[in-house]
Amino acid sequence: MDEQEKVLNARQEMDQLVVDSLKGRKIKPNVVFAKLSDLSKVMSKGVVHWSRVNSVWPLQFGLACCAMELMDFGSARIDAERKGFLLFRATPRQADVMLVAGWVTKSMIPEVKRLYEQMSKPRYVIAFGECATCGGPWWESYNIVKGIDQVLPVDVYVVGCPPRPENLFSAVMKLQKKIGGDVEY
Amino acid sequence: MAITRINIGPVHPSTHGVARLVVDLDGDTIVNVEPHIGYLHRGVEKLVENRMYMQSPPYMEKIDYVAPMAVDELYVATVEKALNVEVSEKAAYARIILLELQRIASHLFFIGSVTNDLGQSFTGFMWGFMDRDKILKLLENATGQRMFYVNMRLGGINREFPQDFEYQTKEFLDYLEKRLKDYENFIEKNPIFIQRMKGIGVLNIDDAINLGVTGHVLRASGVKYDVRKNNTYYKYSELNFHTKILSDGDNLSRFRIRMMEIRESIRLIRDSFYKIQKADGSMIGMPVKLFSPKPTNKISIVNRELPRGEGLMYMVADDKKPYRLSIRAPTFINLAALNKIAKGHKLADLFSIFGTLDMVMADVDR
Repeated sequence: MDEQEKVLNARQEMDQLVVDSLKGRKIKPNVVFAKLSDLSKVMSKGVVHWSRVNSVWPLQFGLACCAMELMDFGSARIDAERKGFLLFRATPRQADVMLVAGWVTKSMIPEVKRLYEQMSKPRYVIAFGECATCGGPWWESYNIVKGIDQVLPVDVYVVGCPPRPENLFSAVMKLQKKIGGDVEY
Repeated sequence: MAITRINIGPVHPSTHGVARLVVDLDGDTIVNVEPHIGYLHRGVEKLVENRMYMQSPPYMEKIDYVAPMAVDELYVATVEKALNVEVSEKAAYARIILLELQRIASHLFFIGSVTNDLGQSFTGFMWGFMDRDKILKLLENATGQRMFYVNMRLGGINREFPQDFEYQTKEFLDYLEKRLKDYENFIEKNPIFIQRMKGIGVLNIDDAINLGVTGHVLRASGVKYDVRKNNTYYKYSELNFHTKILSDGDNLSRFRIRMMEIRESIRLIRDSFYKIQKADGSMIGMPVKLFSPKPTNKISIVNRELPRGEGLMYMVADDKKPYRLSIRAPTFINLAALNKIAKGHKLADLFSIFGTLDMVMADVDR
């Protein structure tokens, strides 16, 4: 009997806690009464957000070996377009994502920075492959930057030497989740 | 006339990596092209000096990432010469099969990239990559990695071919032979393609010899030189194949040479699958050890027919590590021909010329 009472009391306490926590908050109702002009503003915001997630345009920027897998990613077998990862753009002004595929040499840093600055906001960077994430096998070399994150802010890292195209596909989907706000960072 | 100087690259859709070209133009006609290289330089030759002999193949493979196994094999052959290791008959045939498969993959990539360079003729790109992917699948089955195989060991290869490898490869070769007819009808006989390629970027036979170009560039100009025939290695002397040459030296003949070479490679693979059955010895080489046998030859020079031309390695051996390794990259020397053959053509033709020279900028910069 005592144990049953305890359980009941605990339940009541929990319910009370939930009720207390909800007291100060506004709860979203399921039905919205609003002016049409306000509604369209909200809708358009959502539409922009939705389209940003579903049409990520990459920059055509291949550096080294990983660019081979990047091309494979864009070709027939993987077919990246089905997730809104459209054709590679040749100009940074039309691109949203920069895929750094390959090792970055010291003489290449100003070019990479300039390309990144030319891209319109919001802009994202995927470090593709070992060389772009940490220098990879060239960690001892005198001419290689040990990871592109020393120069640019990186959103998604892909490891592998080189990563398979499927791996890049998962990275792109992760980036889409991040743009959509599903992943906290 | 006023001469305009424009800068192309280092980031450009069709520079095959990171090449920078400074072009002087008279109207739309090219007066001078100056390639600036070094954007991918990472000092492979220096890095190798601090590594033991069999630690270096992964670095070698990244020199020419379109045909990694070919460069890997060149390096391992140089070490074999220094250490005096012999390759058994069976291992030689196995290497030939893998190398020729890699050569076909590299040539298919060439077809894809050239048609892309002509101005987003995207079907050729898709086709080339689709068929290249099938070869990568075969090589992955045989070696365990998709792009960088690191499959060569001293005196052989890492592991035996899987049981279904021969069947799958032969099936693929049958498919590819049918497919090559499609390529021929769609690309080689396409009037627009011929107009863009014929008579563009002509390299005559004297210039080709003087500039020292090798591979398909030299053969397209009419010189019958193929390391597989002229300085034969492994069992290439016992296999049946021809060195194809064309005499025009223009873009179209450079393209057609590649198509012919794919057919020759198909013959080579079929032939070696037949001969490997009766070959003796083991396919598997020495495992990678911390202490390899001491080198007996101080200086070893080995040359090979890489997919992009003649590759050569010159190694001065030390006790455990190479004292110095010098690499002759084929594309570095082929790039020297660019200025000669691009002069007098329109700017729009520059990248079809650059594409048919088949540049890999990582190979140029090392």
